[in-house]
Amino acid sequence: MIRTGISGIDEMLGPGIPEGTRVLFSLEPGVDGRLFMLSTLRSALLDGRRCLVVVPTSNESVFRCDLGAVGGAVAAAGQLTVIDSNARETINHEARSARKRKSCWISLLNDRVKEERIDVLFVYFDLLYEDLGLEGGLEAISVPGTGAPLTTVVEHLNLEGEALISRLASGNIFDLIFSLQSAYTTVPFFNFFTLEHVAWARMPRRSIPYTSTDSHVKLYIPKIIVTGPPYSGKSTFVANASDRGISVDRGDLNGFRTTVAMDLGWLHLKGFDISLCGTPGQPRFDPIIPQLVRSAMGIVLVIDATRPEDLGRARDLMEIAFASKLPLVVAVNKADLPHRLDEQAVRVSLKLREDVPVVFISALRRSDAHMVVEILVERMTVQHF
Amino acid sequence: MYAYKTGIGPIDALKGGLEPGTGILVLAPAQSSGEQLGYALTRPRPGEYAVILSTTMRSVDVRDFLAGTGFNRDFIGIIDSVTKLSTPGIADSMEVKYVASPSDLTGIGIKFSSLMESIFQGEFSSSTQALFPPPVRFYVDSLTTMLMYRKLEVLYQFLHVLNTRLKKMESLGIYILNGQSFDERTISLMRQLMNVVIEVKTGPEGEFLRIHGIPGVTREWMEFTVGQGSVEVKV
Repeated sequence: MIRTGISGIDEMLGPGIPEGTRVLFSLEPGVDGRLFMLSTLRSALLDGRRCLVVVPTSNESVFRCDLGAVGGAVAAAGQLTVIDSNARETINHEARSARKRKSCWISLLNDRVKEERIDVLFVYFDLLYEDLGLEGGLEAISVPGTGAPLTTVVEHLNLEGEALISRLASGNIFDLIFSLQSAYTTVPFFNFFTLEHVAWARMPRRSIPYTSTDSHVKLYIPKIIVTGPPYSGKSTFVANASDRGISVDRGDLNGFRTTVAMDLGWLHLKGFDISLCGTPGQPRFDPIIPQLVRSAMGIVLVIDATRPEDLGRARDLMEIAFASKLPLVVAVNKADLPHRLDEQAVRVSLKLREDVPVVFISALRRSDAHMVVEILVERMTVQHF
Repeated sequence: MYAYKTGIGPIDALKGGLEPGTGILVLAPAQSSGEQLGYALTRPRPGEYAVILSTTMRSVDVRDFLAGTGFNRDFIGIIDSVTKLSTPGIADSMEVKYVASPSDLTGIGIKFSSLMESIFQGEFSSSTQALFPPPVRFYVDSLTTMLMYRKLEVLYQFLHVLNTRLKKMESLGIYILNGQSFDERTISLMRQLMNVVIEVKTGPEGEFLRIHGIPGVTREWMEFTVGQGSVEVKV
């Protein structure tokens, strides 16, 4: 098994990427997705694998410097071999036809894999595609391993969009395909990857936003809204779900504390960086809720199991927060207290779709709050942007 | 709607400049002032920014050239596809981003997004005239070099994506190509991507330009000179 080295993706893939797998990272132009392949390379080198990198757009020293910026000492590792732009220039100079060039690439890669006893082949594919065509390029990099099957990881600048991905997935040419894209408004609003195809397991097609730092990819949920009627336990939920956070509460005339602006919380869960934003529940704050919901990726509706009379207010909030248009989980709070509400009553009263999860929890328990967030993240990531 | 001033009298007089999202192809022979004309069109006016993709000059030389021509370099970002070949370990700064070579379209796209994002998010030099979206002039110097490294069809697809992004960002795209170095099909495909084409010719009487694609602007040859980052057209 090899791993991507990206927390969240590796968890998603379970034990890892099996030996002999053909992996594709398909990059839309402009999307900052180079770390996916570099991180997988770094991870393979750290695991002691012998790796061969084919990088026709660059020379070896530039590539090693770029890898060094991400992976530190692994860039100088002895088990890393690089075939760079010089090899391409030589091949293109010596062989004039695409057929001959393909033969040159096949013998070069086969020889190098055998000589160096390579475990994983990494290919920056777009210039090979340009020189040899799609079939020719794919044939050139289909190198048998020495002993164990060779794992092949490919990065490709995809100028043809979904049509190419469908072709590669349906033709069973790659076993694991990630497409990396940007969601654009006037500028990239966020980058996201989509797990397009996994040959060895049944996994839903899922899209997840990410941010790139200089050396790491972090999966990222920009905003989850936590809403619900007053005193249903939203602030408690946000506080207990979060690693850190703030709440803007004020005491009311009856001595109860109520949220007057919002609760904010941040947590790292299952490889994701997640922001939680709790809304006020009082009707007088309704006008600000649509603003809070902007760019949210999912909603947790918190209701109080002991107060069925508040379900009307919960319905209003679902409408104000556009809950029908976003992934939603209903958290029925205070389920540890005596209560009359059951799941069916909640579903009927809130007119929930069958696929909306209804979970009975106590927001006082961190594990319950995390379970709700996990269920919502699971739902969000199967929705395509 | 914002209008990008060009310094070319007949264009600016008509509508005050070019519409956001316009793509301009400067078709100029070698040894002409075409490249300087491209830079003159790229010069950011107050409140504007520029991003230059350099495939022929190192960024340090581009910045020297800009300083010598009176450009305000604080508002100019550069994607340098030359320097890394000789200095592999060079690191990106806010203003200058490096890619491995002009063939590295993946890297060029990433650095383009990165510069545009920092401009839009106000992380680049901030202007006192805060316009939103910030007007950005993007100059590719030059398509001639890029076509030596990548196939026409690939570059066409890449530029098509880039132009779509520039339109969304309400920016201006400026591209220079030596029209004499390529066949008719290449020129024709590159023209298809653009709204405006400025042809340049040189002769013993001086240098001339001709503008296509702007209704109301004469298609006659007009004599021009470029100096200190500004273009002057004799009408």
